[in-house]
Amino acid sequence: MSLLDFARGPALQWAAVVFVIGMLWRTLGLLLMLRARPLSKDRKTGLAGAGVKTMFSRFLLPKVFAKRVGFQFLLGWIWHLGFVITLLFFQVHVLFFKGLLGFGWPALPNSVVLPVAAVSLGILVILLVRRVTNPVLRYISTFNDYSSVIVTILPFATGFATFAHVPALPYETLLALHFLSVALLLVWFPFSKLFHVITVLPSRYILGVKFWRRGVEA
Amino acid sequence: MTQKDMTLGERLQARGVSRRAFLKYCATTASLLALSPTMVPRIAEALEAQRRPSVIWLSFQECTGCTESITRSASPSIESMIFETISLDYHHTLQAAAGHQAEEAREIAMKENWGKYLVLVDGSIPTGDMGYSTTAGESNIDTLKRVAEGAAAIIAIGTCSAFGGIPYANPNPTGAVSVSDVIKDKPIVNVPGCPPIPAVMTSVLAHYLAFGSLPELDHLNRPKVFYGQNIHDRCYRRPFYERGQFAESFDDEGAKKGWCLYKLGCKGPTTYNACAVLKWNEGTSFPIEAGHGCLGCSEPNFWDAGSFYSPLSTATHLDAGTVALAGAVGVGVGVAAGAAKRAQQKKIKSAPAKAWTKTQAEEESQ
Amino acid sequence: MTEVITKQEREEAFAMFYGMAASIGELADPAPEMTDEERVERAKEVFLKGIDNNVAVQLDACVHCGACAQACQFYIGTEDPKYTPIHKLDLLKRVYKRELSPMSWLNKLTTPEITADDLRAQVELVYDSCTMCGRCNMVCPSAINIGDMVALNRSAMAAAGLAPAELRYMRDGQEADGTIFGADEDLFNFRIQDIQQKLGFEIPIDKKGADVLLMTSGLDIHLFADATGGAIETLHHMGVDFTLASKTPGYEGANFGSLSGYDATKKKQTKASTALIEELGVKTVIVPECGHSYPALRFGAAEAVGRPVNFEVMTVSEYFGRAVMDGRLTLEKKSHPKPIALHDPCKVGRWGGVFDEPRAILEACGYDLHETESNREYNFCCGGGAANFLLPSADKLKRVGYRTKMGEIEAAGAEELVVSCGSCRMNFEVGKVKAGDSIPVESLAAIIAAHLPQKDTVEGDKV
Repeated sequence: MSLLDFARGPALQWAAVVFVIGMLWRTLGLLLMLRARPLSKDRKTGLAGAGVKTMFSRFLLPKVFAKRVGFQFLLGWIWHLGFVITLLFFQVHVLFFKGLLGFGWPALPNSVVLPVAAVSLGILVILLVRRVTNPVLRYISTFNDYSSVIVTILPFATGFATFAHVPALPYETLLALHFLSVALLLVWFPFSKLFHVITVLPSRYILGVKFWRRGVEA
Repeated sequence: MTQKDMTLGERLQARGVSRRAFLKYCATTASLLALSPTMVPRIAEALEAQRRPSVIWLSFQECTGCTESITRSASPSIESMIFETISLDYHHTLQAAAGHQAEEAREIAMKENWGKYLVLVDGSIPTGDMGYSTTAGESNIDTLKRVAEGAAAIIAIGTCSAFGGIPYANPNPTGAVSVSDVIKDKPIVNVPGCPPIPAVMTSVLAHYLAFGSLPELDHLNRPKVFYGQNIHDRCYRRPFYERGQFAESFDDEGAKKGWCLYKLGCKGPTTYNACAVLKWNEGTSFPIEAGHGCLGCSEPNFWDAGSFYSPLSTATHLDAGTVALAGAVGVGVGVAAGAAKRAQQKKIKSAPAKAWTKTQAEEESQ
Repeated sequence: MTEVITKQEREEAFAMFYGMAASIGELADPAPEMTDEERVERAKEVFLKGIDNNVAVQLDACVHCGACAQACQFYIGTEDPKYTPIHKLDLLKRVYKRELSPMSWLNKLTTPEITADDLRAQVELVYDSCTMCGRCNMVCPSAINIGDMVALNRSAMAAAGLAPAELRYMRDGQEADGTIFGADEDLFNFRIQDIQQKLGFEIPIDKKGADVLLMTSGLDIHLFADATGGAIETLHHMGVDFTLASKTPGYEGANFGSLSGYDATKKKQTKASTALIEELGVKTVIVPECGHSYPALRFGAAEAVGRPVNFEVMTVSEYFGRAVMDGRLTLEKKSHPKPIALHDPCKVGRWGGVFDEPRAILEACGYDLHETESNREYNFCCGGGAANFLLPSADKLKRVGYRTKMGEIEAAGAEELVVSCGSCRMNFEVGKVKAGDSIPVESLAAIIAAHLPQKDTVEGDKV
């Protein structure tokens, strides 16, 4: 079995199995945890609506924080958007999902996706450098933070190398490395902070409800 | 002087082949092998002085496609090879002799040329029940081992003998293996392809005849000169790939415009062969030019590397079923683990608050 | 307004009080002796009891982006990365990850147990350098409730015997006599008598079945009688059927169980207040201008007694602000050429939702309100909230917080500041002295009283 066969086959298969089981495990585990229920009367009604509102309002940065957090906020936005576009709308990725799900969707032209992916990759690298150089980030960063950025950078880097067919390695090795980096990302996902994909909206909902009980829009 | 003892030059002269025609053949061979033009006289000289080497062609679990292919070799043509360049002493399909006579011919050739003859193999070798494939009552593996013992070198023609090929594909009922799985102590050249390009087969032979040695090989023992680059890199449709213009089906606009066949499962990017350069049928066309993606037939395990029609960017083992199964397991595990944690939490919350009991120090002081 | 306390009196009382407050740490009983194992065990117990689904989901949503640092006045003022708010939750996170996370089996391999040394290092992080103002909650892209989780950390610290001496002193005092700063029933009665004399009407005390109970606090009794007096005068003016309670903790709104981390004390205090309130049978309770007393009773009473309660809790600015908005209270618009800034106390604003009411009052009084850049739910803390104004160890940080806040007030062009929280006021006053600032800091309750329409000019001029 060649490296590519392994990467396209068992590696991706098992990585996906670990991913699905891990994600469900952690999600359901959280869901089943006990929840404290407040007894005091709320200052406002429509808690669920307020929670949902916070889920979406936190996509925008309040103006008062713009000067201090605007740059990183913007980077975060662009990078996440770029990731979604690259993952879901790059031609060959659509093919991947079509192969997996049995249906596909229209892809964006390479002339759009490639620059977007390049920007995303660039931002990831900037974020990594920032994590090392910014005193706050360096202070609070753990293995989980560094590894998660690197594990996310790898599919981008190998993806570009594969597409550009860099001469350093044969194409099938590059493609295999791309698949393997995706497998690594999948395996890493449920056990790391990347899991925030699942928790970020519920977390906003929680504060949205908590503060709306007190009459404050979070 | 028997014909066998005549040099190639003498034979050509006897047959009325002009010196000019011969040099042209040498030049073609040199260019195919990517040798410098200064090598042409060297080839001519070597071939002229060469006595026809004995070649024994063993056919095991095969489909005769490789033989079909080599007989379509144009330059050098198979006829010129057989009749002028080599002494093809044994070949199931091409030899005139049959039955015991055929086997005898092989035995004689082996005895007379022990240590010097070339063995060409097409087809894979079964290692399961010996009855799967035999010749004159002898199992393939025994034949191979015995014939290979006196060989100067072995050329595995076609993917089956080179890598196991289709018989080797899952579930491999015959326990098929490649030549290099059986023979470990002889120089082996793999000339994979299903079938290989005719000129590639004959050129490897010519190289051996001209230089008495095997051409430079890659990590899979394939001649680098033919298998050094992948089809994608040499494909005339490559610009469409770069621009992201793909045929979505075999009869859509893109297909008619000759766009890239990646989405239709072309394995060009991972297949190392000379198809896009040499092409087939005397340079007429090759699969991609004919509108069908490359199957990757010259690569090991090509039959098991997923559907020919699923693009390279798809997973081969992962499917919705696997995801669904993992999902079911995940739900089970998640609920069980979550319930256990919940029980643990209930216990923690209902336990009396130790933090408000007296400390050891406080108790002792009382 | 009837001046119940002159400026000079107030300043003298303030100087005396400040001298007293500075030494309470020395007056505290020695901290309970504990082995390191006991400390860890107790802290962990508090953490584990406190972690529910909400905490777990929020801790799992953190990506260490570090944005919270940029919302925190202590980081902004010091640029010391250890004050990054989310870093203050590291111990809680570790306990969660090891014990209760669905992935605890894996986390146990990578996450070390917390140690007593970790806990000792944590004291500065969750007391001195955090007022649980919750501003970080507002910037967090995952909306993590860091403020409340720091409160859980304070509880763990207290359980582990590591709460600062000053807060232990406050808590012990409250445990012993239900009030703070020794503002016992005698002192309360003395102060009310005094106010009553100055106001010239009888202040109803312990009147069963009254509509409204007005609570006060030790700080107001000692220092800010203008706030209490203002509230009483306004209630009287409105003709509200109100009363004060003469027994602790019926008059004491402060709850130093809640700030120090002593949850049992917090609960006990709230329970006792609730019992007294229910005994009086009032419909509405007005808590004093004391930030934390609002959430402590408003969102703590039902929790403390384990069932819903049927009285309303409002803070002073909320009650009178609503009255102004409903037209039940008309204030006299006066000319105020000096621009004024409003400080939203964290516990009443961001944690209580009282924003519009004080603004309505200021507008009714004719003030030219200059909002600070960060206002309402984005307001900066005064720098000394959550009882930090009592911690000498946090002096430097308090100055830093004060500076950040005052910087915004100055930038807004305000020449006067109004607050409706005693400890904010306290912190502003101390901060002013240390920084040499001179901006007047007023109580909102006193301002209301000063803008009551003059029914009787003779009485109004009386001092």
